[in-house]
Amino acid sequence: MTLLRLPSSAAPTPARTRIRTRRRRAGRRPRILIAVTALFFALLYLPIAVVTLFSFNARKSLTVFDGFSLRWYRAFLQDDVLISSLGTSLRISLVAMAGSVVLGVALALGLVRCRTRLGSLAGLIMLVPLITPEIVTGVASMLLFKGLGVTLSTGTVMLSEITFSISYVTVILRSRVAALNPEVEEAAMDLGATRWQALRLVTLPALLPAVLAGAVLVFALVFDDFVLAYFTTGVDPQPLSVRIYSAIRFGVQPTINAVGTLMLAGSIALIALALFIPRLFGRRGGLDILSGE
Amino acid sequence: MDAIPAVRLDGVSKQFADSYAVHDVSLDIDAGHFFSLLGPSGCGKTTSLRMIGGFTDPTEGAVVLAGEDVTALPPNKRNVNTVFQSYALFDHLSIEDNVAFGLKRSGVAKAEIRQRVGEMLDLVQLDGLARRRPRTLSGGQRQRVALARALVNRPAVLLLDEPLAALDLKLRRQMQVELKQIQREVGITFVFVTHDQDEALTMSDRIAVMNEGRIEQCGTPEDVYEHPTSRFVAAFMGTSNLMTGTYRNGEVALADGPGLPVGRRAGIADGAAVSVSVRPEKIWLSDFEAGMSVLSGVIRETVYSGPTTTYLIELAPGVTLSVLEQNTARSRMEDRWSGGETVEFGWRPEHCLVLS
Amino acid sequence: MTLLRGPFRTRRRAPGAAGTRMWTWFMLPGTLWMTGFLIASLLLVAVLAVGTTDELGNPRFGFDLGSVRALADPAYTEVLARSLGYALLTCVICLLIAYPVAYTIALYGGRYKHAMIAAIVVPFFANYLVRMYGWSVVLSDDGPLLRALRSLGLADGGTKILNTGFGVVAGLVYGFVVFMIIPLYAALERLDVSLIEAGRDLYGGPVRTFFFVTLPATRQGATAGLVLVFLPAMGDFVSAQLMGGPDQIMIGNLIQDKFFQGQNWPLGSALTMLLMLVLLLGMLGYLRRTRKDEAEARR
Repeated sequence: MTLLRLPSSAAPTPARTRIRTRRRRAGRRPRILIAVTALFFALLYLPIAVVTLFSFNARKSLTVFDGFSLRWYRAFLQDDVLISSLGTSLRISLVAMAGSVVLGVALALGLVRCRTRLGSLAGLIMLVPLITPEIVTGVASMLLFKGLGVTLSTGTVMLSEITFSISYVTVILRSRVAALNPEVEEAAMDLGATRWQALRLVTLPALLPAVLAGAVLVFALVFDDFVLAYFTTGVDPQPLSVRIYSAIRFGVQPTINAVGTLMLAGSIALIALALFIPRLFGRRGGLDILSGE
Repeated sequence: MDAIPAVRLDGVSKQFADSYAVHDVSLDIDAGHFFSLLGPSGCGKTTSLRMIGGFTDPTEGAVVLAGEDVTALPPNKRNVNTVFQSYALFDHLSIEDNVAFGLKRSGVAKAEIRQRVGEMLDLVQLDGLARRRPRTLSGGQRQRVALARALVNRPAVLLLDEPLAALDLKLRRQMQVELKQIQREVGITFVFVTHDQDEALTMSDRIAVMNEGRIEQCGTPEDVYEHPTSRFVAAFMGTSNLMTGTYRNGEVALADGPGLPVGRRAGIADGAAVSVSVRPEKIWLSDFEAGMSVLSGVIRETVYSGPTTTYLIELAPGVTLSVLEQNTARSRMEDRWSGGETVEFGWRPEHCLVLS
Repeated sequence: MTLLRGPFRTRRRAPGAAGTRMWTWFMLPGTLWMTGFLIASLLLVAVLAVGTTDELGNPRFGFDLGSVRALADPAYTEVLARSLGYALLTCVICLLIAYPVAYTIALYGGRYKHAMIAAIVVPFFANYLVRMYGWSVVLSDDGPLLRALRSLGLADGGTKILNTGFGVVAGLVYGFVVFMIIPLYAALERLDVSLIEAGRDLYGGPVRTFFFVTLPATRQGATAGLVLVFLPAMGDFVSAQLMGGPDQIMIGNLIQDKFFQGQNWPLGSALTMLLMLVLLLGMLGYLRRTRKDEAEARR
């Protein structure tokens, strides 16, 4: 059977014709699958399209589009509370990114190279945030701060976001560290570098694409996150995502559409960038960054 | 030997949980020699090399470089450089910067670095590729970069861990010759790890054959090939016809077979169980000379392979020898033996090794 | 054998005991940070679950099973059952949607495969809140979806999605379906197409081939996807808030309520522990499943 299937230029015998039709049928794209996929994509982007569309609406309606206008964007720019929240969110994201990248990269290096019992324990601890729903992490963080008598503030949000983001950085970096050729670092030491110099001059540059991708991704995730922020933020200032959450729950103003559109655009750009960074360095593309494989 | 050896391993062992990777190895490597550590995978040759380089700490014994005990020193404090099996090039640096890495670490002046890197790239014939990245080079070129990167530091000893293993056969042969030439040119001691006995025989001044963490034999290529001192070495170095039997009075009686005349051997007692080995190319099929041991057997197989023909000759049930004949201009096709024929063959007793 | 493996193993390992010590130091700050902020805080939740409140409603540590016993209250068991039901239904629907999508992309995506997966993944990792908000607008009574259905005659004026259980599940599906698509796509992409062709030879029909060849080969991807969807779906509170009404609240909403509006922290902690328990059981089931699969694969 398999032998018969080999493509052949010989005159088609009846048997061969039959097989060919069957092949074509197997290779045909089933219309129903295509339709389901198309519908899926449509529904996936519909909410995003709706938010974007109504952010440009001239009227204060979420159902009828009544002409193009930038009034909601203008309203956002004139809203001091939202603007200061944006600043707060950016600050939180930057700090969380810096903190979690430093801790996460070091942790990834340690986890891969330290084959002790302590190492496997650390590996387990690292997984906890990934399998714990955010609401649990949020509740727990809030209780910890309250229990320690710390007043909730932007600072507490930063601490919690770092905690949560370390795992992301570590997961992204760990596979890259494991894929490093240990002989390269040895070569650096062989050529006179100390352990630290080898790390700085050889290992970190080799990890740079993944580090940058992880940093950008963490920035976007922290900027977007609202559950942890919601549980750990003080009253004022509040991160933008928490403001949006309150706004969505208690009466929607179209300004939210404008803010939402900007946030979506921003995070989509950042995540796309995170996927694209490894390509800039001539590595294979980076979907694996999100799946952690 | 009066001169201080470039490398001395003094009773070195490397023990893992329950087994030895290297077991009590002592070894002197003379300055300027091309020295090979040869053995099957897992024999401890790479571990030995790594202990010289400082990448693996021995659990016992000392590593001495040019008279200085370096056992406790990290790799960056040892005057040796390594060419790694994977080449281990720095992908984010240009070829030039790869080669300059070691010189920069040791604080050599910029002008001198540029000059020495240029010379080295000339030596390995990579001039013109200085600004390229390692990824854009072929396997052979990467190999040369690795070599240049190590040699440019003018180490006392260069360690090479199967550097040719990843190359295809033709390139490999070419690099073998080139490597040997470079070694002669720079005069640096090379310690070369390989599992390929041809490679070791072709390139080395001395060879240490390793097995199961120990050195089986250490000597010149001729020594190791012609006079193996153990069954393992005899079997590992090329094809050898290994037979077991009992030595008595200058003859080895094979179990269920004829006695092989091997000549009197000092140091082997009558009745000792021994192994006998004769290299295929040391067995003659005609023109016997006086003093040769001559036996007869039946041709079982004739394998023609261009310059040579190999015959498999059954000496006794279960005892088959392989015999190599040169297909020289004088030998004619029609003179070749074919299967089933009974032939006479013989060897000089001194070519027959008796190992107790 | 061990002797053979010895030197090879060293080559994979960073050199020497000094190296191990250094890497331990690398590991330490991150691990300590996470232990201090996360593990300790989770333990605190457990401790507070058996705590009490004073007259002012402030939490007090102690040992009191009142909050834990309160979980047996039908008001809470009902919410737990509903959450489980919604989460499981979400898993099933996600599987039913994700499978054909992943299958189509993996097998017929050609050179646009990666672009298509990126087109799914990128918006999914973008702002969850805004996406859910947009989805609630889409599902609203005057929203584009119901209007389209009405104009097709598939719905009448009384049809509602928001404020129904279906709405909440729709929200959860929209929120987390990507977690099903990624592992399924990975499994399907690894799948050798010739396996499907061989299946066609052996079994003939595409349906039989699918059930005997494709599905078993991707079961591990599907199981992973189920867990990845179940975990966040079970803990979600946004979907029920935006798409559901008071009768559709989930355990996440209860927890949020106890900590913000109700101010009964011990009870909130007890509910949180209950949620963790359910998730832990789910994880254990998954681990047992994968162990069994691995054992079978080894045989």
